[in-house]
Amino acid sequence: MSVVSNKLAASPTLKPHKSADMFSKLVKLSPRFLLALLILPVIGGLISVLLPAFGYAPVLEQTTLGLHGFTMLMQTPGLTHMVMLSVGTGLISTLLAFIITLMILAAFFNSPWLNRIQRLLSPILVIPHAAAAIAVGFLIAPSGMISRLVSPWFSGWELAPNGMFPHDAFGISIILGLTLKELPFLLLMALGVLAQPELGKKLRQQHKVALNLGYCPMTAFFKVILPSLYPLLRLPILAVLAYASASVEMPLILGPNTPPTLAVAIMHWFNDVDLNLRIKASAGALLQLVLTGGLLALWLGGEKAIKALFSDLLTNGEREYGGVYWQKITTVLTVFVIGFILLSLIGLIMWSVAGFWRFPAALPDQLTLLHFKSALMQMQSPLYNTLAIGLVTTLFAIIITLLCLESEQLSAKPMSRFTSLIIYLPLLVPSIAFLFGLVWLQQLVNNQAAFFNVVFTHLLFVLPYVFLSLASSYRRLDPRFAHVAASLGATPCKVFLQVKLPQLFAPILIAAALGLAISFGQYLPTLLAGGGRIATITTEAVTLANGASRRTSAVYAIMQMALPLIGFILAWVLPKYFFKSAHR
Amino acid sequence: MQSSLEIKNCELYRQHEQLLSLNEQVKGGEILTIMGPSGSGKSSLLNWLTGTLPSGFNASGEVWLNGKSINDLPAHLRHIGVLYQDALLFSHLSVSGNIAFAMPKGNKKQRLEKIEHALEQIGLKGMANRHPDNLSGGQQARVALLRMLLSEPKAILLDEPFSKLDTQLRVDTRELVFSQIREHKLPAIMVTHDHSDAEAANGKMITLNLAK
Repeated sequence: MSVVSNKLAASPTLKPHKSADMFSKLVKLSPRFLLALLILPVIGGLISVLLPAFGYAPVLEQTTLGLHGFTMLMQTPGLTHMVMLSVGTGLISTLLAFIITLMILAAFFNSPWLNRIQRLLSPILVIPHAAAAIAVGFLIAPSGMISRLVSPWFSGWELAPNGMFPHDAFGISIILGLTLKELPFLLLMALGVLAQPELGKKLRQQHKVALNLGYCPMTAFFKVILPSLYPLLRLPILAVLAYASASVEMPLILGPNTPPTLAVAIMHWFNDVDLNLRIKASAGALLQLVLTGGLLALWLGGEKAIKALFSDLLTNGEREYGGVYWQKITTVLTVFVIGFILLSLIGLIMWSVAGFWRFPAALPDQLTLLHFKSALMQMQSPLYNTLAIGLVTTLFAIIITLLCLESEQLSAKPMSRFTSLIIYLPLLVPSIAFLFGLVWLQQLVNNQAAFFNVVFTHLLFVLPYVFLSLASSYRRLDPRFAHVAASLGATPCKVFLQVKLPQLFAPILIAAALGLAISFGQYLPTLLAGGGRIATITTEAVTLANGASRRTSAVYAIMQMALPLIGFILAWVLPKYFFKSAHR
Repeated sequence: MQSSLEIKNCELYRQHEQLLSLNEQVKGGEILTIMGPSGSGKSSLLNWLTGTLPSGFNASGEVWLNGKSINDLPAHLRHIGVLYQDALLFSHLSVSGNIAFAMPKGNKKQRLEKIEHALEQIGLKGMANRHPDNLSGGQQARVALLRMLLSEPKAILLDEPFSKLDTQLRVDTRELVFSQIREHKLPAIMVTHDHSDAEAANGKMITLNLAK
């Protein structure tokens, strides 16, 4: 290696992409490494779920292929109900989040309110699902904030009523929680598309053209912006749909128990002491896979149908579909959504510091920090695990991502469509369907290193987000800096470390904060890969949410929100003090 | 009644710095040319006229179109057509789709016939189903013109509409646009950098200075 680098140093005119030093080799291999890292665990996990589902499970001394896993599954009481619950909550929440996102975009497209709404909603993005579920659960509970605010003057309730929320049999609470959590995600994804310099400018100008042609602003959005915007939103929407149909955190905390959603039921079967239930769970995981796949296909089919049905409307010349009313409805809806979110956060904070709190009172009678003190005492080990896993995972994810993006620039070829799609793979395949298989595999390979297993599993979910977050800034980097540095004799490695990375300091920190937030929020992967031995703030919060005192649960949920928030504040503040010159 | 676009006592400010002050009347078929360096407020004036002045700018004064004040109307009810330096055709629609988008609603067959006829007149016969991205720059400019005209505007604004075309194309396209404006007897305001544009417009010319 030293020979090669000496030779390089001696011949500074060598073109950077022709060089063959260690760095360039590493960079060149990184995309393949990334693909392997994402594909192998998911495919391996799926196969390891597939085999037991058909009766092949050497660990359980079952090697005869057959369908008795499915027979057991079909005989499960309430299976239809479980399936309906999963499909219904997943589809309805995604549809609601999507429709409200579109309404907000359409109503506020050219208004300064769009930025304000974005600023209000973007912190919601970093709140883990479990914490959001706990907050929403508190709000809609019979003795929650909503019922306190209307009692007794409106409702006449002097005592907390017997309400149906949360845990209602129809999954309305789950739908509410998922919608509120996914709405900010979709909205920010759309705003991210509109923030792309060229495309965003073109779309805003086209919107203006439509206004000049007499189109009401909302109609202009749906007829001009949406057809160009939607294709870029498709993958995030599908990821939301896949997640919503198969997640466990929200249904565990907000959903009914008899029966729960399919994903939750599968999780219970897998964790059952009766190992034979694992055959049934594998069959269930396969059913989940089919359900989620079916939902994705249904969405894509619906897309085609809508396109076919409405393409004539685009050019029929109709400029106004009651835009004034829709504008008002959207404003009310937006206020309602934001109010709901704020109220649930306020409620959460109040519970965490509440002493005695009589029912209809809107404020606690006493305030105390006791819950924080006692929870923080018990929290040390989960807190340490959360941070250690998050930091190791994120560091690793950022290094691989940077190498892959650098490889894209050195080879001057954009990433293939296949690779771009694979990065989304762990977000599109329901985690419950492949995680169990992955855990079986991990137990075959090394049974001991629970910490390593958890990090590896988290990486699958952290990598996509880190990659998506870093890619746009990396690709927007002015290549002339690198050319100048190379012409001055800097090796590719030096260009990478001393020219590119300092310029990317701020985006790297944002990606790191995002990676940490994703890792902090993981429930199922932590629980499964850690074999229940590794407790994090999130796993503790979910466990506590069902049963323990509301006050302790609130403290854990607040910790869940505080950790990612600290990360993002650091990512925002640090660039103001380091590498300042890079931003001038 | 002859159509007219009137700017009454317009004063335009960026933050609190005055960019321009204007008092003009443009009659149907006339083209008022406004020249000036970038930053002198040309584009902001057009934005004010269409009702899309961005935040950070303030304006006083009134716009009258055909004898009615349109100050309080939102952008989409003003009936002012604009041509920009980019054609800004909608890439999710075909050429005829782009034009149909702009036309008032009505019988589908009649609208299509009208589009065919109009395309033929500007030398784009048979291009109705083409994708706008596959047209040349000059063809795109002509489709944009057609789209604007068939929306039946009451006045026309031209925001450096020819600056991206090369010399010969520029002359031809300009001739087409100006002849259409005169034929439809529409009041027009053109903002440009180019003296040949101003001469060809053959109307009143105002030169703005950079605000100090």
